[in-house]
Amino acid sequence: MKPSAVDAVISGLKKAGVSIVCYLPDSLFKELYPALDADPDIRTIRVTNEGEGAAICGGVFLSGKRAALVMENSGLRASVEPLARMGLGAGIPVVMLMSYRGELGENNWWAIPHGITMEPVLNALRIPYRIVTEEEKIERAITDAFSWSYSAYYHSAVALGGSVVR
Amino acid sequence: MKRFDCMKALALRLSDELVILSLGASVDEWYNAAPHMREASLFQQQLGCVSAQAFGLAAGLPHRRIVSLDTDGGMMFNLGILATIGNEQPNNLFIVVWDNECYQSIGGPPTHTASGRVDIAAIARGAGVTRAYTARTVEEFDKHCAEGLAAREPYLIVAKVSGTVQPDIKRKHSDGREDKYIFVRHVERTENIVIMGPSEHN
Repeated sequence: MKPSAVDAVISGLKKAGVSIVCYLPDSLFKELYPALDADPDIRTIRVTNEGEGAAICGGVFLSGKRAALVMENSGLRASVEPLARMGLGAGIPVVMLMSYRGELGENNWWAIPHGITMEPVLNALRIPYRIVTEEEKIERAITDAFSWSYSAYYHSAVALGGSVVR
Repeated sequence: MKRFDCMKALALRLSDELVILSLGASVDEWYNAAPHMREASLFQQQLGCVSAQAFGLAAGLPHRRIVSLDTDGGMMFNLGILATIGNEQPNNLFIVVWDNECYQSIGGPPTHTASGRVDIAAIARGAGVTRAYTARTVEEFDKHCAEGLAAREPYLIVAKVSGTVQPDIKRKHSDGREDKYIFVRHVERTENIVIMGPSEHN
């Protein structure tokens, strides 16, 4: 990620009122994680799997603070069970920001499943999402996701792909 | 040691804490053992999410004591949360693991703790939650509750309880969605904050 894209993500998170970020690091967002760690206004919590991160974000929602779950899109699959239970069972929302692994242009065989499954999994959970491939649209996508999730009390997602992450 | 007796002992020590607990028979037991904590208690239905959600709540409300009522099956579903808590060291999180050595709500098939080899308190200590203990009597459990609720570091107590459920207790009728609203409104009122506010007019 370019420094300007990292700045756009952090700016979007701050405009959305986020003060806690749970993450499991990945390679496409590798410049983002240390920037989040270094930001004095954001507390980062490193998790052992993305489902755990989703549950922690759910707990943060209940506290009145705002959290985001940042991860590779493969983490969506690891989060499905807690997302389904929290979102459909209780109406506790989690806003996710994920790197789009496996889209056209992918050059790693192991990442192909992430691209094939991301949108069908989001659709199966009826999670609205926006795929952003232009830097100038990052901030708005993040604030829009939070607006929607705090109206619907349901999850939403932003996937960053294309030249934003490669 | 019966879980219901432990719950009654813990309930006597609680007033303004917030509680996250697991789905199953323990929900009805908790609602009867701690009627004054009903609005302040929210059940989490997914194995492996109880202490994670409680930790998120503790991170968001660092001045408030948060109690996680987790289970052996739930904790073993995601042991990673112990490492996350061990590294994060929340100073307001008290975790109880009801260890009945079985998946009670589906009829009682054994969990891994039934073998006698698996020790959740030892796993927790290995993950950095150094104040992690096992209690086998109500007196021991109550002593740990006193210490855990006053601790300024994460504190975990594994309560070795029987697989029986307290008979003839009143069932809780609300679902997860209703419980969430009740819990959120309780947090809003007691913290003087807005979590689920009014809609915009535009």
